[in-house]
Amino acid sequence: MLQKLEEVKKEFDSGVGLVGSMPDMAQFKADFLGKKGKLNALMGGMRDLSVEEKKSFGARANEVKQEMTDAIDKRSQDIELEAINAKLAKNKLDISWTDKIKDLGQQAAGLHPLTQVTRELEDIFLSMGFDILDGPHIEDEYHNFEALNIPESHPARDMQDTFWFKDKKHLLRTHTSNIQIRGMEQKKPPFKFVGPGKVFRCETLDASHEAAFHQLEGMMVGKDIAVPHMIHFLRTLLSEIFKREIKVRLRPGFFPFVEPGFELDYECLLCGGKGCSVCKQVGWVEGLGCGMVHPNVLSGGGIDPNKWNGFAFGLGIDRLAMMRYHIDDVRHLHSGNLQFSEQFKTY
Amino acid sequence: MKISLDWIKDFVQLPDLTPQEMGVRFTLSTCEVEGVEETNAHMEQVTVAEIINVEPHPEADKLNLVSFKTGSGERRVVCGAPNVAPGMKVAFAPIGTTLPGGFTLVPKAIRGVMSEGMLCAEDELGLGDGHEGLLELPADAIVGMSLAEHMKLKRDVLLDVDNKSITHRPDLWGHYGMAREFAAAFGKPLARPFDEKWIEKMRKHYNSDAAPVSIDVQEGTACLGFLGLSVDNVTVKPSPLWMQQRLSACGMRPINNIVDISNYVMLEQGMPNHLFDRDTIRGNKIIVRENGEQSIFVTLDEMERKMIPSDTMVCDLDGPSSIGGIMGGLTSSVKASTTRIFIEVANWKPELVRRTSTRLGLRTDASQRYEKSLDSHQLERTVLRILELILDSCPEAVVVGPLVSDGLRLNPPLVIDLTLSRVNSILGTSLNEDEVIRLLESLEYSVTPAGGILKVTVPTYRATKDVEVDADLIEDIGRIYGYDRLVPVAPHNEITAISLSAAKILERKIQDFLVYRGRALEIYSYPLIGAKLLEQAGWDVMNENLVLANSLSPETDRMRPSLVPSLLEKAALNQKYHNKFRLFELGRSYLESEKDFSEDRHQLGIIYFDKQDSPFMEVLNLMGDLLDSLRLNAQIQPPNQKFPNPLIPALWTGKHPHEILDIRVMGKSCGFIGSIHPVMAKNFKIKGNLVMAVLDITDFMDRPIKDQTKYKPLAKFPGSTFDCTVVVETGVPVADVLSVLKKVKIKEIEDVRIADVYPLSEQQKTVTLRSWLLDREKTLSPEFLRSVEAQIVASLENAGYPLKQG
Repeated sequence: MLQKLEEVKKEFDSGVGLVGSMPDMAQFKADFLGKKGKLNALMGGMRDLSVEEKKSFGARANEVKQEMTDAIDKRSQDIELEAINAKLAKNKLDISWTDKIKDLGQQAAGLHPLTQVTRELEDIFLSMGFDILDGPHIEDEYHNFEALNIPESHPARDMQDTFWFKDKKHLLRTHTSNIQIRGMEQKKPPFKFVGPGKVFRCETLDASHEAAFHQLEGMMVGKDIAVPHMIHFLRTLLSEIFKREIKVRLRPGFFPFVEPGFELDYECLLCGGKGCSVCKQVGWVEGLGCGMVHPNVLSGGGIDPNKWNGFAFGLGIDRLAMMRYHIDDVRHLHSGNLQFSEQFKTY
Repeated sequence: MKISLDWIKDFVQLPDLTPQEMGVRFTLSTCEVEGVEETNAHMEQVTVAEIINVEPHPEADKLNLVSFKTGSGERRVVCGAPNVAPGMKVAFAPIGTTLPGGFTLVPKAIRGVMSEGMLCAEDELGLGDGHEGLLELPADAIVGMSLAEHMKLKRDVLLDVDNKSITHRPDLWGHYGMAREFAAAFGKPLARPFDEKWIEKMRKHYNSDAAPVSIDVQEGTACLGFLGLSVDNVTVKPSPLWMQQRLSACGMRPINNIVDISNYVMLEQGMPNHLFDRDTIRGNKIIVRENGEQSIFVTLDEMERKMIPSDTMVCDLDGPSSIGGIMGGLTSSVKASTTRIFIEVANWKPELVRRTSTRLGLRTDASQRYEKSLDSHQLERTVLRILELILDSCPEAVVVGPLVSDGLRLNPPLVIDLTLSRVNSILGTSLNEDEVIRLLESLEYSVTPAGGILKVTVPTYRATKDVEVDADLIEDIGRIYGYDRLVPVAPHNEITAISLSAAKILERKIQDFLVYRGRALEIYSYPLIGAKLLEQAGWDVMNENLVLANSLSPETDRMRPSLVPSLLEKAALNQKYHNKFRLFELGRSYLESEKDFSEDRHQLGIIYFDKQDSPFMEVLNLMGDLLDSLRLNAQIQPPNQKFPNPLIPALWTGKHPHEILDIRVMGKSCGFIGSIHPVMAKNFKIKGNLVMAVLDITDFMDRPIKDQTKYKPLAKFPGSTFDCTVVVETGVPVADVLSVLKKVKIKEIEDVRIADVYPLSEQQKTVTLRSWLLDREKTLSPEFLRSVEAQIVASLENAGYPLKQG
């Protein structure tokens, strides 16, 4: 009996792996484990056995039944998996056919390089507690010149080739310094703010000159603000912009709305001050214009220059962007040409 | 402006620095030195030589072999000059000399014969234009002497100063003023050859003869003082080489001794002047008056200038002879035959000179100095310096009569109160009183301490405009003290919470949305456009009041009234390179305004272009999402005749007949979405489907975006969906069908949507509508569901949309 059981088991073991489909498996299962299956048939012969034999046969028969059930489950799962994999293999996706290699026209997306640089600057200033302000592009003479200590006869007006409207009273702002005046009109000291924006100069266009470009003007007004505070602040700012320690130097510079007025140079990042073509061999690069706010400008903004003082500064955004990306021609910035814009894509 | 250090050395002893170091130091203390140039170094190497022998070159017809005597023996060179002759004294540049052209002489064989240097023509030495032949030196020139010594030429260093950096400094437009800065910057004493004692001495030339010319300065003119002196018996001839050399170095062409002195004194004293041929002054009278009429005046440069009644002219009895403070006329200048001259030194009101010179587009050495506010105190000093140089050049010359003058207005003395604490608090220094006084005195301020205050008297030549308040003094103290000695310190800071403005947040959101959701590239286009583009774009707002008076070109002569024309232009540009693209700009357009002249409008412009399929729905869905994400109470709806959209002209030919929608925010039209009419696209040579959207954010950009999220607990009971398919005519918008369901008032209908649309025939289509049914309190009963479904079907059928059968 026991030997017959082992023979059935042997027959099962050699057959289970060959079953190839679920219907075949159902049949196979019925053949061995069904009511009329081979295992049951053997169990039927148990009554002819002795008690001892019954015991050992029964134990073994249960073992065999369990092994068969497990083997059938295992094989069934395999069959199912093979079937799914076969189906997947049939509907195989070409995963190399990405959008990147399709001709979908212009697919890049991203911000204009000047937007990127401006945002970066705004975020640096925000982190240092500066408000971000803005003002109109079309200004009156007062906000662009007079309030900034540049009366009509002042030759400084020639430093900035102004676009005038035909009424000769309105103009396109020549600097973002008009934001200083609008800021002072809005705020009570102490305050600090910057104003990035588009400015206009009547200049003939070439690779390095634009009639419309971008500046950032800033102002900090408080009590007992001194030149060394300004140097410290601007050095920190430049270090933050260039992401490294920056050396700066001050030299006299003339801007009618500040007194004393300075040009702040920074040590050439390329040659470290030794002199190269970028810094025209002097080791220093012109960084920004700055100075202590002229008392006339403070008074004009309704602020008592005997109680408050502060500093102001301005820098060119286009030049920063051009330096960062080595842009060869300033005219590309306003070209609206996507061949230019796509190079600064986000994705 | 070019500054000659050789000239500066007339007045101050400079430290021993390289030319480059000198430039840097001066940049740090005073003004921007843009370049440094060394001159005449070669003249110390070039020597006088005497030609001994000339024989033809064996290999070349036009060349000679020239032997000559030098200080160190005989030499021979190959020379092609036609004027070589034995006995001639010439300039010899030996091997190793670097000539002004920048090339260095090296040993070289010319047609097989070695040449030991070069005999030079005038231009090769940088002395002039002559290239006809060798420069012939006088017979008494000493062989072997350097040309520098022979011609009394000095090696010089020229600093090229950026004029913009001395816009505010009337005193720095002459070498003497610059010398004063060098003296202060290097802590060296300044020579004072033009002091009061010298003036007293020079005045002795004035005499009691009748003045040959009288002056009348009329009221209301630009004149701030007009001084004149007559000199007879002058001889017009070339000026001495040293003077020619300095003038050339500073960029002025030597002409004759009289004209050269005039220029020399301007470059030295900073005060323009004019030397008349006195015989040209009709009626022996100079009248300074307003022009009084529209007229044409021919200036020295032979250009016709249109003068207006209010221009100030210098006239004689015949009429104008020069434009006050700007440029002289043709007739009054000194000629070779002139013997009698009239020295004019005058000062003019800066704003009036500037106004006239700007109008004429005529900026001269004189006008650019007068614009800076010159000091009338310097007028007589200038007359006397001119006289001194004329007497040097023509010892036989004599002054006729006294100094004549009219209209002299001197700026009042300026005294500024300064406190030590203010100096130190602004500069962050701890200077004591003596140091501050010493620094101020180095720039010729005179300082009187008076009870804790320093009374600072400003020199007259700085008191015209440049120095006004104590901050100006502090600047001078700081720069002479040295900015590099200031130690940076962190400012004390109040703690304040800062956030981006609502407008900035909105702008950033829009830009980010367009990049991440719109998959678009941002561009910047020009805010200035021309009438031609507006016409091409069919735009009827021409912004005539926002046309520039001085535009660079007709294509950029006015502010754009809308982004649309610019966008069309950029679409036309980019469709040349791409079959499909998406771009946007967040820019400004500008409207005329009666009240405020103009109004900046902040606008978003979007363009989607596709050569094949119209991207209209893509843009429409994009804008819907954008408006939602900005939490705007906005509707996108068909145009309404009663409320014309102010963003597009009423009869705009760019409008597509069907694919156009208005965007309304809080009831106001502030944008549109539209396909561009193919005819307009053709105007721009655009081949493809162009869809544009514009959103004007000006009216709501300053309002913070409010979070309107209202949370609802998740439903505890299961809901149910119900689909039904109706038959409608092809032309019926699906939204009309859906709107029927939206009107069914059953609170358990949570949402209704279109699940599918399928064409049945050319005339009909089926629309499958899906309703979500939910009761938040209980499970929906089958009876209730059946009754809702019946109501849904009934309302659709009542509206004329029967259920699809079968």
